[in-house]
Amino acid sequence: MSFDWDDDFNAPIAGPSFVDRARNAPEDDDFPIADEFGGGRAGILAQDVAEDTPFQQLIRHWLNERHAPDILPGQELLLGRLLDHIRKQSNDVELLRADPDSSEEEHFRIMLVQTEIERVKFVIRSYIRTRLHKIEKYARHIATTPEIHERLSKAELDHAKRYAKTVEYHFTQSVLQSLPPEQRKLDEDVAFMPPMIPAPDKLRPVFAHALVDCPPMRLPDGSATEMQKGQISLTPYHVVEHLLLRGEVALV
Amino acid sequence: MNSAGQFGDLATQLLTESRRSTATNTLLKYNDVLVRSIIREQRDLDSRIEALLINTAPPDDDDPDATLDAEKQKESARVMPTVLLYQTAILRNKRCLLAYHQHRLEFLKDLYWSVGGALPLLLSLPPAQAQGQPDIRSKLSPHEVDFLRSYAASLLTLRTEAFSSAAGAGHGLTEDIDLFAPIAHPPKDLQVHVRVVRDCGIVYTELGAIDFKRGHRFLVRRSDIEHLIVQGFLEES
Repeated sequence: MSFDWDDDFNAPIAGPSFVDRARNAPEDDDFPIADEFGGGRAGILAQDVAEDTPFQQLIRHWLNERHAPDILPGQELLLGRLLDHIRKQSNDVELLRADPDSSEEEHFRIMLVQTEIERVKFVIRSYIRTRLHKIEKYARHIATTPEIHERLSKAELDHAKRYAKTVEYHFTQSVLQSLPPEQRKLDEDVAFMPPMIPAPDKLRPVFAHALVDCPPMRLPDGSATEMQKGQISLTPYHVVEHLLLRGEVALV
Repeated sequence: MNSAGQFGDLATQLLTESRRSTATNTLLKYNDVLVRSIIREQRDLDSRIEALLINTAPPDDDDPDATLDAEKQKESARVMPTVLLYQTAILRNKRCLLAYHQHRLEFLKDLYWSVGGALPLLLSLPPAQAQGQPDIRSKLSPHEVDFLRSYAASLLTLRTEAFSSAAGAGHGLTEDIDLFAPIAHPPKDLQVHVRVVRDCGIVYTELGAIDFKRGHRFLVRRSDIEHLIVQGFLEES
């Protein structure tokens, strides 16, 4: 049910052990009490043990998102399912709390469920904020690059466009409108200067953890290599990008 | 403009200010004077370039005067290094100006998140009430206040729109997840001991209405009052 969280899991090293613990934790997303109400969920879980629970999936997406330099495809469906589940469990808890017949032991369990709900919410919050941070950082890049649009939810895309506009407006108002007309552009491409529209740095090294045996991947120097299941390697992000999107590796 | 210094000196001062702000983690007052002088330097550089290039204007196509053309080429070769120097200074100044403003925007966004998205609180905080926190509004340029307002509005729209289309979720994200709650540490306990630092009136919690008066202590459900901790009304103890 509840598992050990690290005090400081912002520390990069906390990643792998945390994933493993999340994965091995029994029934971590579900709780016996909830089954009496929810019905059917135990069946869903039992039929495919290898299938991760939604919360475990979220943990993986959350870690990936936190470690990847680029914005990953949003997990709207997964979040929707988790939110529904949270809503349902909160209702169940309310019902049980209101029931005067609940025993002492049950009250203790209710407290555990409530704590767990808060912690799941924490991960969801952190996941959304991580995406928001990247979206704002690369807002102007996103606004001009249609390929990224499908990775964002509609609300996120709208926010990115609005944000890009707000920043450009601010620059124009504070600086650019006072400059001579030919200096007012925000997208100059000048030799020996970094580009004016920051884009994600896909060369940034990441730690990739192979979840299955991976097909060969091409390294920047032209040679090919393969990752066995369980192997962890440090590579530039773009090398493992397609494996990450297929869910064959996880960033840790 | 500052004729004693080199081109770009002022812009360096501006960057130093940004760096100082990062190093001390404080918001410095918007340096309107310096920004304006750099913009004046930009205009000055621009007119200098124009004055230089006026003699090297490309010849008319109708006028195939070879000697004049050669002379112009010579003149152009003479002034080009100067033009290049001015041009580099212009580009650098512009980048510094933008970097300064960008840096401030990032800082303001951090501030905005750190008070839990309570923009009125951030902008109207009188110096007396916020312990040690100086008045923030006086340090902003009017455009920065505008920026914060539109940023807050954009986030509000995002929160109401977000995930409303997601499977089964009829309501927005806002109801379940408070985006502005802190994300530094996962919650460990349901309940938390708090000490009231500033009066915040009656708050409805799980245990019923509680009147938070300065100096009192309570044991309350964390999620009920988390935003009050973030905004500095309560302190964990």
